[in-house]
Amino acid sequence: MPRGRRRTELLMLAFAVCVVLFAYANVGYGLNGKLPPGLAEYGLSFAAIVLVAHLAVRRFAPWADPLLLPLAALLNGLGIVMIYRLQQAGRNGNAGIQISTITPSTTTAQVLFSAVGVAAFIAVLVFIREVRVLQRYTYTLGVIGLVLLALPAIPGMPNSEVADTGAKIQIGIGGFTIQPEQFAELALAVFFAGYLVAKRDVLALAGRRFLGIDLPRARDLGPVLIAWGASLLVLVFESDIGTSALFFGLFVAMLYIATQRTSWLLIGVLLFVFGAYVASKLFGHVGERFTVWLHPWAGHNPTTIAYQTVQGLEGLGYGGILGTGLGHGQPFWTPLVQSDFIMTAFGEELGLTGLMAMLLIFGLMVERGLRAAVAVRDPFSKLLAGGLAFAIALQVFIIVGGVTNLIPLTGITTPFLSQGGSSLIATWALIALLMRVSDTARRPAPQPIQDEGMTQVVRAG
Amino acid sequence: MNRALFRLSLACLAMFVLLLINVNYVQAFESSSLSSKPGNARTFDEQFTYQRGSIVADGVGGPLTVADSLPVKGSSTGNTIYQRHYPGGAAYAPVTGFDSVYGATGVESAYQKYLAGTAPDLAVHNVISLLTGKPKQGATVNLTISPKAQEAAYQALEKDGGHQAAAVAIDPSTGAILAMASVPTYNPNRLTTLDGPAFVKIDNKLLADPSQPLLNRAINASYPPGSTFKIITSAAGLSTGKVANQNSTIPAPEPLVLPNGNLLHNDDDENCANGDPPVIEAFWLSCDTAFAKLGIKLGSATLRDYASKFGWNSSSLAIPMPVSPSNYPLLSDPSYTAMSAIGQYSDTVTPLQEAMDAAAIANNGVLMRPYLLQSVVAPDLTQVESTTPSALSTAVTAQVASEIKQMMIAVTQNPNGTAYLTANSSVAGVEIAGKTGTAQNGPNNSGLDDAVFTCFAPASDPKIAVGVIVKEGGYGADAAAPIAVKIIQAYLGVH
Repeated sequence: MPRGRRRTELLMLAFAVCVVLFAYANVGYGLNGKLPPGLAEYGLSFAAIVLVAHLAVRRFAPWADPLLLPLAALLNGLGIVMIYRLQQAGRNGNAGIQISTITPSTTTAQVLFSAVGVAAFIAVLVFIREVRVLQRYTYTLGVIGLVLLALPAIPGMPNSEVADTGAKIQIGIGGFTIQPEQFAELALAVFFAGYLVAKRDVLALAGRRFLGIDLPRARDLGPVLIAWGASLLVLVFESDIGTSALFFGLFVAMLYIATQRTSWLLIGVLLFVFGAYVASKLFGHVGERFTVWLHPWAGHNPTTIAYQTVQGLEGLGYGGILGTGLGHGQPFWTPLVQSDFIMTAFGEELGLTGLMAMLLIFGLMVERGLRAAVAVRDPFSKLLAGGLAFAIALQVFIIVGGVTNLIPLTGITTPFLSQGGSSLIATWALIALLMRVSDTARRPAPQPIQDEGMTQVVRAG
Repeated sequence: MNRALFRLSLACLAMFVLLLINVNYVQAFESSSLSSKPGNARTFDEQFTYQRGSIVADGVGGPLTVADSLPVKGSSTGNTIYQRHYPGGAAYAPVTGFDSVYGATGVESAYQKYLAGTAPDLAVHNVISLLTGKPKQGATVNLTISPKAQEAAYQALEKDGGHQAAAVAIDPSTGAILAMASVPTYNPNRLTTLDGPAFVKIDNKLLADPSQPLLNRAINASYPPGSTFKIITSAAGLSTGKVANQNSTIPAPEPLVLPNGNLLHNDDDENCANGDPPVIEAFWLSCDTAFAKLGIKLGSATLRDYASKFGWNSSSLAIPMPVSPSNYPLLSDPSYTAMSAIGQYSDTVTPLQEAMDAAAIANNGVLMRPYLLQSVVAPDLTQVESTTPSALSTAVTAQVASEIKQMMIAVTQNPNGTAYLTANSSVAGVEIAGKTGTAQNGPNNSGLDDAVFTCFAPASDPKIAVGVIVKEGGYGADAAAPIAVKIIQAYLGVH
């Protein structure tokens, strides 16, 4: 009989909490040579949040994958620790100099966001007992996703521009700012899954054969062109290249899972390359990203448009193989290091070693998600889980590749790590969906009635 | 759908592998080159907490420390903080540059990785000092600069009286730079303050100064070469066979009618040896029409070719500070070619290039690559780097070089030579081979003439080649040659 492995999960969670507390204490020692204040408060509240999540899983998804929750908790906790470290900032250990874009309550807010994120995680587990029920709301969620995506672009929306970046990706509601695209990603993933499950047979029909590849029929190109157009609109109206690439990549990947047609992948990649090329020619801010990517050290670049990238790279170089140790680096030189560039802060203080470990944690998380997708039978759940797991991988690739100058930099959040609530909450909900799928996949079939030994045997005369 | 999922997993794996390879590249392989990037705020902040390497002028008259780091007392954090100090002051400013809280210039910038101790070659030494508990320290950079030549150059330029001027001396047989002076200049000690706002105030004042004291004119300013370009015109004529030897006569009409109908006169409308001088006489008298006419005969492409062999038109030369190119542009109009052959029209030259022109002749036609770095010595006194002299190009054959050398000797030794009065052997105490230049400039030549002089000495066994340019100084023989003579005398120890 398969086991739920909840005890493994608890053990791994305890380990994750220990790593996070150790890192937090390390920051205090690194900066001031003594234990940081609030070790008990932050530690206990973090442990409590994580414990509640674990208990919810025990109650509502007992067969779920045992690794996803500890991995998420570890990343979330390390994110809080790094934000606390950046809030203390301090040149030469001087707490007087702070990063201008961080307020004194940033860490507290991040802990609260984590609590809300875990609440969202639990809510998903409680209210969605089977992922496939979402299929009923395919088009409703599609519309909701598009509206969420379009909200910040509507003229007159309060606080739509993120300070210092020019990207219009957030809306202000009563003193808070929300980045609706983070939630749009989930809604659209459900929509894509529902739509593609319904249409996959048609989309998989072969049209003409060209260079050994079965091209789809021209009239089936509609959906991919619409998704492409929508992602280009995001790029144009919200100046947000990363999100646009993420959505389009998610759609193409799910299209591929649904149809198994390589031609769709090729068409998707070609469309994206073409779109990116045209955009780089038409829009200054897109072209600028390419310039910085190709020539980060050229001429006046290091002091102007490439400043952030250059500071991130110099931070990584400063960290080297083993890192400076938490609190000993100078990540405060990198502008907005607490959001898009937080991985460079980890790279600087934890070194190549720490950065690779964190990338492997993300990789493991993606692997667990894909495993759930492979194991589940229902095509809708399979498609959704596969798409969501791929979305994590793609998001990590886009942002970490961007800040390490592997690909042009496009600002999107690093899952679980970047400062800010919307991304954190949405990612917790995403993990809940993956856990729900894995719960469905691993749940043993109901016991056949013949196994019950006490059944009365009726003997025919 | 599982087959597609497996393939997608491979795509995810590929993305993570790419990220891992890239962070390994950045953090393991690029780490040291990133830390020595100019303007790296992280390592820059750190560099004041340990002793930066010294810069030493190690040529004739040395060794003399021209930059070192001294501990500052009473820093707020209690750690020892080091501040840069330039014992040589303004005289060495064009060489050392300065190292400040906001960046470095000159040798301080060019050899940052050695001085700061971040160069990969120093990694082993750093680990050893870490293990033996010695404080971290930068490496000493020894320069080819001769304190005798450098100080003579600076003082001669300073005494000249408020002109913008520069002088460069090099060893013709190696390319080692012996002196590099520029005026007006600045005192680098004023820029070493660790107080950021105070630095900005002083720096802005220097940047706003119309006399541009921060500009290193020796390598980064260019002026019309005037008649000194006749060395290259002669080199082209002798090498191509258009002029057989130094005694071949060439036409020197007064005036010369240019193809566009304009008239070119010799200086003071002088008649140059009745219009038919041997090339050596045209050279010592510096007849403009003779060389202008030769220039038309040679053509702009040939002149450009020979100028390039002497090091002109190169934007890649670095000593290691990047040197501004000296330009001889390709001209299509022969009237302009005529002007360019006597160093006018759009020719421009740096004082370093002037010295290189003479050095190539002095070294039998082989131009050595100019350099400043003698050696780099780690704190444990092991040498980690040194320069091996190398040839940059062959400008002319030894035969042609010897002919031009005779012509340059005549400039100072023939009683009618343009530099006889200021640079003959009894005045200088050594036989100098040189060429004067008096370059007209400004619209319609309304500006004051730039004085130029290029030379080497002793003529029989060249040890030093000098280029001097005094902006708006007047006659090359009167304003520039005496400065060159003083540098040569100081370096060779003659009076």
